[in-house]
Amino acid sequence: MVKIVKSTIMEAPVEAVWEVLRDFNGHDRWHPAVADSHIERGQSSDKVGCVRRFHLVDGSELREQLLTLSDADMAFTYCLLDTPVPLLNYVAHVRLTPVTDGDLTFWEWESRFDTPAGEEQRLKDMVSEQIYQAGFEAVRAHMGLAPASTA
Amino acid sequence: MARVFVSSVIDAPAAKVWERVRDFNALPRWHPRIRDSRIENGEPSDKIGCVRDFHLQNGDRLREKLLGLSDYDMFCTYTILEGPMPLTNYIATLRLTPVSDGDRTFIEWTAEFDCAPEVEGDLVNGIGINVFQGGFDALKRHFGGR
Repeated sequence: MVKIVKSTIMEAPVEAVWEVLRDFNGHDRWHPAVADSHIERGQSSDKVGCVRRFHLVDGSELREQLLTLSDADMAFTYCLLDTPVPLLNYVAHVRLTPVTDGDLTFWEWESRFDTPAGEEQRLKDMVSEQIYQAGFEAVRAHMGLAPASTA
Repeated sequence: MARVFVSSVIDAPAAKVWERVRDFNALPRWHPRIRDSRIENGEPSDKIGCVRDFHLQNGDRLREKLLGLSDYDMFCTYTILEGPMPLTNYIATLRLTPVSDGDRTFIEWTAEFDCAPEVEGDLVNGIGINVFQGGFDALKRHFGGR
């Protein structure tokens, strides 16, 4: 079992960051790895249980299901259903918390998954850097925020 | 039920910040509003259930009991047994979480308590600004020069 926890501070109020992140179908508008995305069966992207089918820029197709969405906690949980990358039993959590001192946002992105033997480190590094860390930077750019500072 | 939530970012690794705040008897060493503190009955300050008896700079005396402490999750939960503030059922938690991006610390201090409606605003502001944010400001000054 691989566990990843990545987190950052966004230089924006938590409501503004949540507005971007709560749309489970919105990642193709900001994540550089995602080429296109749609929600299956015409469902709304805030319906718990909905499935997003999307393509990465290399053409591979993935399906992910929304397991939890909370406006009260500003958090959501999702899992991978189909993927060409060997991430097994992948469940991820995203959660925002206000930083009252300065009206900023603490953003955590974490996941657990299994991999084929020997692939743990490569896949951990790939998800950490190319998905999560790149996602932090991409949302900053999407929102017109400065690159990460050291508060 | 009144609620206080204050949070900040300290420019130091979470393990370093935790080292400074985990000792339930260490308030006078890091919080500028606290003058002195001792643990009753000679108990260790990380024994769950221990009581700290301390004074603020203005001379007010409080007694607080340690309800929870986790070195794994880096949090500390406590309740007020005796104090000058007109409130009851006070439970507070100080929690640290690492910020992987930049190796900093997200720090949260929350409290819940019951009080008369006419004093709630003053209590929430007093605790949130003087105690919690005041503590964060002291930690930011201490760790500021990394």
